[in-house]
Amino acid sequence: MIISRRSQLGTAAAVAVLLALPLAGCSGSSLDSDEPGTSNDGLVIGVVVPKSGPYQPIGQDMLKGWTTYLDEHGGKLGGHPVRVVEADEGDGGPTARAAADQLITAEHVDAIVGVANADAVTNIAGPATSAHVPFIGTGGRPSTLQDLTYTWHTSFASTDYGKAAGPYVRTAVDGPVYVIGPDYQGGKDQIGGFVSAFTAAGGKLANPGGQPTYTPWPGDGNFGPWLAKIKESGAKAVYAFYAGAPAVSFVKQYAQFGVGVPVYAPAFLTEGSALTAQGAAATGITTIATYDPTLDSPGNAAWVEAYKAKHGGAAPTVYVETMYAAGAVLDKAVAAAGTRVTSETINTAIGKVGDVTSPRGTWKLSSTTHTPVQRWCVRRVQAAGAGVANTVITQNLATVGG
Amino acid sequence: MAGQVIIALDGLAFGLLLYCVAAGLSLSLGVAGVFQLGHGAFYLAGTCLAWWLAEEGSWRGFSAALVVGAAAGAVAGGGLGDVLRHLREHLDQALATIGFGLILVDILTASYGAQPRAVEPPPGLGGSIGVLGRSYPTYRLIVIAVAAVLATVLYLVIERSRPGILVRAVAADPDYVAALGVQPRRVQVVVMAAGGALTVSAGVLGAPILGPSPGLDSTMLTLSLIVVVAGGLDSIRGALFAALAVGQIQTTAAVAWPSAAPFLLFAVLIAGLTWRTRRHANTVRVT
Repeated sequence: MIISRRSQLGTAAAVAVLLALPLAGCSGSSLDSDEPGTSNDGLVIGVVVPKSGPYQPIGQDMLKGWTTYLDEHGGKLGGHPVRVVEADEGDGGPTARAAADQLITAEHVDAIVGVANADAVTNIAGPATSAHVPFIGTGGRPSTLQDLTYTWHTSFASTDYGKAAGPYVRTAVDGPVYVIGPDYQGGKDQIGGFVSAFTAAGGKLANPGGQPTYTPWPGDGNFGPWLAKIKESGAKAVYAFYAGAPAVSFVKQYAQFGVGVPVYAPAFLTEGSALTAQGAAATGITTIATYDPTLDSPGNAAWVEAYKAKHGGAAPTVYVETMYAAGAVLDKAVAAAGTRVTSETINTAIGKVGDVTSPRGTWKLSSTTHTPVQRWCVRRVQAAGAGVANTVITQNLATVGG
Repeated sequence: MAGQVIIALDGLAFGLLLYCVAAGLSLSLGVAGVFQLGHGAFYLAGTCLAWWLAEEGSWRGFSAALVVGAAAGAVAGGGLGDVLRHLREHLDQALATIGFGLILVDILTASYGAQPRAVEPPPGLGGSIGVLGRSYPTYRLIVIAVAAVLATVLYLVIERSRPGILVRAVAADPDYVAALGVQPRRVQVVVMAAGGALTVSAGVLGAPILGPSPGLDSTMLTLSLIVVVAGGLDSIRGALFAALAVGQIQTTAAVAWPSAAPFLLFAVLIAGLTWRTRRHANTVRVT
């Protein structure tokens, strides 16, 4: 009996270790594929979104944004019917890498769009670049990416939020600010971008040692110890980057712990379904954003109404808008690619799309960073009807990007 | 200093909540000998129940969620134990319960919409109260109290009562118990039912801290496995100590050494395994 007990213990331990590896940030690597993306059955677009993990709700919004664009344009991009292949980016690690390999080698996609987690960008951009397949990212762009030839973003560089928010928070808050975010590359860029802009403007961090605080990713959802730390620090405000499920946990627990100082954040903290779940606990949170359903850009109001009518009254989020914008960029690029539409000609054409118009307004893709040069706004969560909603309090904060 | 105490207190709350969750796995894995890898799904089911019945935080909804959760968990756990009695290999059990867990998680995810959901604590417990001159969420103190009671009851039942002796006898040597005229399988099904009820109830209890969200099931399964393995499979007391250690690692250590904390989880595993193995070696030598 002791023998079988021990074998059982061994099996249980093995399973525990396997499951816990992601908690320790260890990820496996997969094989490189050098097969070029060659298309032979019309335009095939790979759509990579989180269908599992903490960003799953974001993935649902992203798919809605993509479908909205295709539906509005008869299922065609640049006049060509599109076949869409969806794949899961998971929590940004090996799952994303497998998705890229699958789309490129098995599906021979002409372009890849999507990705919420900035870590997944690296895992997709690598195989896409070696296969010369354009990749249009719609979430955070990490600062670590080297070869940008085939990588574009319709969203933002992860550091852009901090660049826009830094000077603003410096003037809005009289005193030190506690800066906190998740421990992955996108989180470090978001937080790092803020810290450099904020300190350059003369701001001081309330964190012990003057260094920003990073919480485990994906983590276990309990922010208790960090909230206790924030209260100890004497901070006059908090700048926090969280999205999806962790955003809900952070804001809810922030209220339960009675931290009591104002929160500033990139848009994601109070975006879409996260805000719905947070409810009154989110009241007063100020966010820096590139898009909001109430933004005063031309055509936005009508687009929002049409979207709401189709999705049971839910307003579009930044995740919906950046995917929609990816559709708009690809539409223009495929149309401009000429008679021979290949992944190469699409990529060249993306570099020449010029002004892009999407619900957030008109913006350009920077020729150096391949990310948007766009205007930023400030929003605050206020009571609205039975619940709460983001309200734009400054339409033109700054033009940042590129 | 007071800040450190608050963080340690939060580690206690998280560790004890984890103990409530892991106790169910400890029963099914350690006592009933069933590899219940659908455990995380059971916890998620509890949080979903709390969200459906008590999202805005009402005593009636919360009690209803506890009662329904315990009943549903008992039926599901017992049913699983009964169905799995033909699978004696651990790998077969693991595959079957993983599959069951995946299906359950998918159904639950579809029903709560894969959106992160928040559950309010019952009325009067939503705020915070002063601890050492710092405010601390009332509900977490309630979790500490409830979990402490649960730990005591489980200890008394399993290690001090006659049914507990029978249960431990089944875990140690089912054939011998069968020779005494008790069907070990029946005892195991009852233990699995208790484990299921405990896990789903822990989900209801934990919902105001960790509400339903994608990925919650695997986080809870992982942490529970670490607790149960490090604590020794059939020791409900060992699980308590392991849960308290993991609670401190996920809070005090995670704040003090953020990059080292995840690896400390493995250190707990190794320490637990080494200790158990040495004890087993001694047992063999003595007998």
